[in-house]
Amino acid sequence: MRIKSALAAAAIVALAAACGSGGGGGDSSSSSGNEPVKLDFLSLAWQKESVAANKQIVDEWNKANPNIQVTYVQGSWDNVNDQLVTQFAGGTAPDVIHNDSPALAGFASDGYLLDLKDKLPAELKSDIPQAAWDTVTFDDGKGAQGVYGVPFLQESQVIIANKKLLDASGVRVPTPDQPWTWDEFSAAAKKMTKGGTYGVAWAMKSPVNKTLNLALNFGGTFFQTSGGKTTVKVGPEEREVLQRIHDQLYKDKSADPGALGQGTADPLPAFYDGKFAMLPAGVYLRQQVAEQAPEGFEWVTLPGPTGTSAQQGAVSQTLSISQDSEHVDEAMKFIAFFLNGANQAKLAKGDWLLPTSQKAADDPAMTTKENGWDVATASAKNLVVAPFLKVKGFDEWKTKVATPVLQQYFGNKITIDDAAAKLVEDGNEVLERYQR
Amino acid sequence: MTATVTRPAPPRRSRGRRRRISRQTRELWLLMLPAMVPVLLFSVGPLLYGVGLAFTDARNTRNHETSFVGLENFAELLSAEDFWSSFKIGAIWAVSVTVLQFLAALGLALLLNERLWFRGLARVLAVVPWAMPPVVIGLMWKLVYHPDAGILNDLLGTDINWLADFSLALPAIIVVGVWTGMPQTTVVLLAGLQGIGKELYEAGEVDGAGRWRRFWNITLPQLRPVIVAITSLDFVWNINQFGLVYVLTQGGPGGQTRLPMLFAYEEAFRYRMAGYASMLGLTMAIVVLAVLGLYLWRQMRETK
Amino acid sequence: MRRADSSPVGIRVLQYVALAAFIVFLAFPLLWLLSTALKTPRELALTDPTWIPDNPTLANFSDAFGEQDLVGAAARSLVVALFSSVITVLVSLPAAYAMARYRSLVNRVAIGWVLVSQVFPFILIIIPLFMILRDIGLINTLPGLVAVHVTFTLPFALWMLQGYVRAVPRELEEAAAVDGATRLRSIASVVAPLLMPGVVATLLFAFISSWNEFMFALVILQDPGVMTLPLTLVRFTGPEGVARLGPLAAASLMATIPSLIFFAIIQRRLKSGLMAGAVKG
Repeated sequence: MRIKSALAAAAIVALAAACGSGGGGGDSSSSSGNEPVKLDFLSLAWQKESVAANKQIVDEWNKANPNIQVTYVQGSWDNVNDQLVTQFAGGTAPDVIHNDSPALAGFASDGYLLDLKDKLPAELKSDIPQAAWDTVTFDDGKGAQGVYGVPFLQESQVIIANKKLLDASGVRVPTPDQPWTWDEFSAAAKKMTKGGTYGVAWAMKSPVNKTLNLALNFGGTFFQTSGGKTTVKVGPEEREVLQRIHDQLYKDKSADPGALGQGTADPLPAFYDGKFAMLPAGVYLRQQVAEQAPEGFEWVTLPGPTGTSAQQGAVSQTLSISQDSEHVDEAMKFIAFFLNGANQAKLAKGDWLLPTSQKAADDPAMTTKENGWDVATASAKNLVVAPFLKVKGFDEWKTKVATPVLQQYFGNKITIDDAAAKLVEDGNEVLERYQR
Repeated sequence: MTATVTRPAPPRRSRGRRRRISRQTRELWLLMLPAMVPVLLFSVGPLLYGVGLAFTDARNTRNHETSFVGLENFAELLSAEDFWSSFKIGAIWAVSVTVLQFLAALGLALLLNERLWFRGLARVLAVVPWAMPPVVIGLMWKLVYHPDAGILNDLLGTDINWLADFSLALPAIIVVGVWTGMPQTTVVLLAGLQGIGKELYEAGEVDGAGRWRRFWNITLPQLRPVIVAITSLDFVWNINQFGLVYVLTQGGPGGQTRLPMLFAYEEAFRYRMAGYASMLGLTMAIVVLAVLGLYLWRQMRETK
Repeated sequence: MRRADSSPVGIRVLQYVALAAFIVFLAFPLLWLLSTALKTPRELALTDPTWIPDNPTLANFSDAFGEQDLVGAAARSLVVALFSSVITVLVSLPAAYAMARYRSLVNRVAIGWVLVSQVFPFILIIIPLFMILRDIGLINTLPGLVAVHVTFTLPFALWMLQGYVRAVPRELEEAAAVDGATRLRSIASVVAPLLMPGVVATLLFAFISSWNEFMFALVILQDPGVMTLPLTLVRFTGPEGVARLGPLAAASLMATIPSLIFFAIIQRRLKSGLMAGAVKG
């Protein structure tokens, strides 16, 4: 008993102490007079160089702006949306929020994000092309359109290839000016398939974004809107890329079936091992290859294949301002600084993604041949806004309908007609929920 | 902490029954009070709110007028095919994980209760899964199951993509589930084993009972309250589990591992259908309570 | 003690084999984490994984510690876990005693509640809970997180403890009372020692649940100055589940070891508690 009451007493004392120290940091927001404005910046940077770049830019800002102090808060891609849903509902979200354009659509129509349309400084606005602004322009949930973030890093699909196997096959090496057509791509994959080595590997654990972004090659949009009502469409344009990937897997047998269920980075060990020659992937995967590839392993970055066009759906990383922020103008100033040309180049380099800033894209670091930056940066011109970004209920369609259906289709468990029927019928049922 | 309750009270045995009952009740309330405050404030309150939501069309958004819809969410749930398949997967998962977890943990607890060499070390190592943050558990097992760089295929000499295989994914995550929950169950059972009085065994030995007889006639009956408690709780925890599948498979391949709580989680946090998700949670809770009620009732009847 | 010596050799061997199998199954990830933490990115991407790194490196540790405030986060986690576990036990012990020893409506409601609270998924609770915490000013504070951890480990702690109290024969207590001891004395001298293993197990449970808890910490804590360890671990993961395995493993190792040390210390208590009970009983 004596021990227990001593423990209890100690607990109370220490808890009181912890209260004192824990509570002290948080509530200085009610600024009186000259106290600096405080902003919370939720960043999702996770690569070593990118974390460093983020911290450095925030430090620079804080030194130059003693009246607007930014706190760098690190979040994680894994769960940022859960965190935000809760914090938005409670009205305590950070002022400046890093996220990506697919997530913005939902938060924008929920009314949690500030419309930046009339707040963007001219310089920032003109430095970023309209195609990128399109990826952050959404319905505000009441019928009007608004700009809900500043797009700064974009991902495009490229092909990362084993140079030795590529050279040995004798196929024409594609360049940004003269990329492969899908036919050439499939032929090349077939040529590289021999003796236990596959031509290509499709990591299709999360097949939807990848397939839908590539589907634009043939003009496949997967959604159509008429009379204010959005429905799913799987016509000949949409089927092209699906069928071609399926053919590589089961007709040409030039695609490694083992990679099908894998996440984006999972096939890499087999890639270094020479089990397959080409890996279609987002540009950011180059970072892992550069870091992990065994010595002597040579690799190149090839532009993605083209269909009727080279267009790909773009997804951007973004900075947004919370509707509840008390310091909107200061937050906007910070974003404008954070995303100026010089800083974007640093951020893009750190995350191995493409900058939206045209000034940043001209930075020598973005155009060097080393690690395929030239090819990656060149692919930015093919990026157009992915139609699915604007579809209300896309996320549910993706998780409940498209992911399982495409997994089954690529697993050769159902035919393309079955897949198409399911995508449309089950899909429209899901979208219905959002159009009431 | 029990100072108020246990202040030496003058003995009142002679004052008749009624007084004693009221004093008992007062004592009871005082003993319960410290636990009731946080529970009422942080658990019952939010829960009632959440249950209330189940009968509305609430969404986790700002631009939505919430209105009362009665049982509409429930009707929608019953007619949703994906709910039923998720429900079935959840039942298979919860029952198999709970049973396997219990059997394995009982075996381990019995071993750890023997006087074996390295028992102390074994006891510490046995809680490794528990000591690992769930985030790490997920990534760890992903590495184990990795088709190329994973140690499982390396050990077995197989070439299977465990987590993407339509028929193997669920068994694969069941193994992870058993692994994750085993230490908790083991520690509880072990403490239970240690609470069994030695004299019972000594009496058994005098009667010449063998190892098995002692286990069946002394250990199991003595352990019963603890077993009932831990299996019930394990079952509840397992049915509420979603963190593991969230990291390992995200419900795939083709929805084969979409546990009910992952389903509800997606409804609430991704599609913002707060009302529908609450109804899903409520329905699952009622089903689980019914199953548990039956189980506990049978256990109690058998004890009597 | 005597029954241990009476085991035939065959059974002994079988027991060791079974124990070894259990331990390998449960503990191998610790070794694997260690191995991963010492590997270079290049080695991590080999198709033929090895247990012992060819070129062991400490770079992952320096990355992990350099980029994240792991030490600070660990200290905060420790404070939160210690307070949560001690408060949980202090608060639930009297209630558990009441549940096990009294029969009344309150008691039945309490037992019912223990179950019900575990049955309801956190999805139902988290947003309203967040709002309550915000309104009483506990958002973004460690005491707020302690309060939540106590609330949510409490039902299980109650259940564990009341089971252990029940296992203490009521007659022992009554015998002590007949001997002239007051209720308090009888509880302190008879029940408490026998309860020790149970209390220790409950402490352990509460400590580790709090140490590992992620979801509530994620939404409650916002300032970098109050974040706990599990929150900093996920910083090494990127979109689509891609992760920096080396630093993640290094940081995870640092997050796993304190729980193990805690357990190693406490499991000794587990044993001596038992002895005390056995001698007196």
